Amino acid sequence: MPGMEEFHTGSEGSFNSDEADNIVKECIDNVVGGDDYSQSQVNKWTASIVERCLTQLVKMGKPYKYIVTCAVMQKTGAGLHTANSCYWDTAMDGSCTVRWENRTMYCVVSVFAVAIA
Amino acid sequence: MDSYQIDEDPMLAVESVIGGNVYQHSRVKQWNSSVTEQCLSQLSKLGKPFKYIVNCIIMQKTGAGLQTACACFWDNSTDGNCAVKWENESMYCIVTVFGMAI
Repeated sequence: MPGMEEFHTGSEGSFNSDEADNIVKECIDNVVGGDDYSQSQVNKWTASIVERCLTQLVKMGKPYKYIVTCAVMQKTGAGLHTANSCYWDTAMDGSCTVRWENRTMYCVVSVFAVAIA
Repeated sequence: MDSYQIDEDPMLAVESVIGGNVYQHSRVKQWNSSVTEQCLSQLSKLGKPFKYIVNCIIMQKTGAGLQTACACFWDNSTDGNCAVKWENESMYCIVTVFGMAI
C-alpha cells in the first residue's frame, strides 16, 4: 500500500526489540484481531493496545521507562507516513515499530525504551 | 518540561517544511524526516538534561479515519509530552514530542 514506510533515526542498544516485537504483535492480535474498522470502537482499541503493550513491557522488570504509541487507520487508499527521531543514549536505549494490517485497517505501534540511569 | 516552548517549535517546524504544499507520495518521506529532525535539533538546543523522542504522522486527506494513542511508563514529576496537530487542504500532520529527564 503506498505510504506505509518508516524513517527511523534511533538505533537498538541493549533493548531487546525482538522480544518487544512479539509482545506488541500479540497485543494487537488480541485487541483487533478479527475486527473490521469501526469508528465507534477505534478509540477503545487504540487505548487497549497501548495499555496492554505497556503492561506487558513493564512486567519484564527491566530498568527502562517506556513510551508506546499506536495509530490505527481505516483502509481507504489514503497515504500515511510516520517517522520517529530520538535524542538519547544509543548504547542503552532503543525502539521497535510493528506494522499490522487486516482487510479494513492498518495499525502501527511503536515502542520506545529509555534506560533509567 | 517547558510545555509552552514545546508547543510552539513543532508547529513552526511543520509550517516551514510542508507549509504551502499539497500531499505528494514521492515527497512525504523526506518531509517527515525533515520535520522530525528539525524538531529534535530545536529541542536539543534547549540544552536541558532530557532525552527526547519526536514522532510525526502525515496523512493524506481523503476522509479515512485515523486514531492515535500513546501510553507512557515514566516519572510523572519530571517527564512529559505534547501533541501538535496541523492541517492544510490536502493533509494532516500530527507531531508528538516526548521528553524524559535524565
